[in-house]
Amino acid sequence: MNETQVKEEIRFIKDMIERTRRIAAGSWMFLLVWGIVAILAVACMYVLVALEKYSWIWVNWIVFVGIGIVFSLVYGRKLERAHGARTYPQVATRHVCIACGMAFMLVGFLFPILNLYSWGLIAILISLIAGILVFSLGGIYEWNLLKWCGAIWWLGALGMVFVHENYRALLFVPLILIGYIMPALVLRSMYRKERDKNAS
Amino acid sequence: MPPEKLVPLDPTIHSRVRLAVLSILISVKEANFSYLKETIGTTDGNLSANLTKLEEVGFISVKKSFVGKRPMTTCAITEKGRKAFSKYLKALEGLLHFKKK
Repeated sequence: MNETQVKEEIRFIKDMIERTRRIAAGSWMFLLVWGIVAILAVACMYVLVALEKYSWIWVNWIVFVGIGIVFSLVYGRKLERAHGARTYPQVATRHVCIACGMAFMLVGFLFPILNLYSWGLIAILISLIAGILVFSLGGIYEWNLLKWCGAIWWLGALGMVFVHENYRALLFVPLILIGYIMPALVLRSMYRKERDKNAS
Repeated sequence: MPPEKLVPLDPTIHSRVRLAVLSILISVKEANFSYLKETIGTTDGNLSANLTKLEEVGFISVKKSFVGKRPMTTCAITEKGRKAFSKYLKALEGLLHFKKK
């Protein structure tokens, strides 16, 4: 084997590995759906607060987070089948989404029902977990924008401490737009560009 | 590096399709037959023969199942395959350094 052949062999291996990395870019849908689920949950929560139906807040969270978890399970499986391969980032994304979904459920539903804290704390704790979710995804996909979005969620959680608990949920709106929807749309645009490039 | 210290290239891996299969499987948890075929750009028969060879030496595990009524073959790299692939890369690296000198 001469030097050119060895280099060609190494280039071939790199190319094969690179092709599997492209699959990971299709995971933007997780972020987008969790963002929409969170917006709907917050909107409903705000309506419940306005109507002073505090005891229903946990039902709101269990319904929306349940939708998010079921979506993560079903869509994750569908994505794997469509691509034909299960990458480590995909496996990690699915597990992080489900783990954070469980945490959302405990924080927004079980703990308040056990009277561990008042409903007003839910928004702060949800923001903390959302930060963990987005920051972890940033680490998995080696994308700094997501890590910054995670940090914004944590700053938001800190900011909520200084806001009256009746209005904390309102702070969710800019946080969700910046921390979920915006990176999901950027990821989707990157994925489509990559797909079009491969097709041409 | 003296030539006697060069690690020989594993003949099982030293084939275009088998090298491609291991390169893909090293970076994913598992991949199905269609994905491998499409990514490598080979025929059913060629891929099937090479997968059998890799399975025989214990470099990959092959699982056959059904999705609805459609049969599905899923492959994953084994620990033995991972070590062999890593050794193959080191051998290539050694060869490259040797040729440069």
